[in-house]
Amino acid sequence: MGLEYVRISPGFEKYMPRDYVDLVKYGPFGKQVDVMQMGQFKELVEEHPMCAGCYMAYFIRVFYAALPNPEDTIVLGTAGCARLALSQAAVPFIYGNYGDTNAVASGLKRALSIRFPDKVKDVVVIAGDGGLIDIGFGMTMHSWFRREKFTTIMVDNEVYGNTGGQESGMSPKGIQLKMAPLGKKFDKINAVELAKTAGCVYVARISPTNPKRIAKTIRRAILAARHFGPTFIHAYTSCNIEYSIPTREVLADARKREKQDFKFYEWMTDEVKEFFEELERKEKQEVKK
Amino acid sequence: MYFVADVKENECAKYNCKQCVLFCPEPNCLNFKSSTNSAWVWYDRCKGCEICVYVCSDLLKRHCIEMVMVTPKATAKS
Repeated sequence: MGLEYVRISPGFEKYMPRDYVDLVKYGPFGKQVDVMQMGQFKELVEEHPMCAGCYMAYFIRVFYAALPNPEDTIVLGTAGCARLALSQAAVPFIYGNYGDTNAVASGLKRALSIRFPDKVKDVVVIAGDGGLIDIGFGMTMHSWFRREKFTTIMVDNEVYGNTGGQESGMSPKGIQLKMAPLGKKFDKINAVELAKTAGCVYVARISPTNPKRIAKTIRRAILAARHFGPTFIHAYTSCNIEYSIPTREVLADARKREKQDFKFYEWMTDEVKEFFEELERKEKQEVKK
Repeated sequence: MYFVADVKENECAKYNCKQCVLFCPEPNCLNFKSSTNSAWVWYDRCKGCEICVYVCSDLLKRHCIEMVMVTPKATAKS
């Protein structure tokens, strides 16, 4: 971890793969990139096997461009679609068993703060609705009850996409899916309110329609987790295969859902609010100088 | 044969928007070249989802991206 691990040993430049050399030369390591510059630098995430037009892949792309310090970050994932892209990035990735991501992250964050007391190390969990709210529900909740200082991001595609389309706790009521032909009988779980009740200090719900806002939310969640406690982002990332959305309409669907039930929502405790106000004041002063 | 997006660079250079680059789900697939002030597609990485076409044609009405069929030989050049 740290910048040393991305540098190429002298003399080996011409033997390294082109993607790696590009990453060291034009990547975001050691400098602060803006998410609006995507497409003009070598991104941390590489080619991945996710479906064409998958907006979970898009969310992950923006996530890696928004990391405040990628060289000191560890990402955790679990079974589900998200791990297909998460494991293709130049950031250390840990694959938990299904549902235990938040338990692994708790231990990891504590170990890192003992091993590197003078450094900031970020731990971020990205898992789907199945990994966090269905199968991993207990471990997710208990990591929040214990106020572990890391970020949890739920990429909610409202279905078990990998295994053929079973309903999940996050599927909307009444939805008919390939492996749930009778329609779902129960309401969608209100994950945002659960997170607030369980003790998260920063909670957000977002639809991927505005890269700048996604990046700001992710940065805020990670910065708040460093100092105060658990943070949670609920992101809508549609499954265009299981919900039969034509790939060209994926962004239109995200915009439609944003107007319906995924309106941008951000909640934080008073101390976190003060912290961000202070931080933004300092940033403005620096820009003026 | 692959179905990929292709940017009409002369048309694209008239605007300064980069919106297609910001909404593509593939990393470094649609890129921005400041020397020509236009976006360009790395054909090998494009999965043909047409989200960029939606952004450019349906949302912004600029019609600078079209979908084309390319042969593997043509992609190897890029």
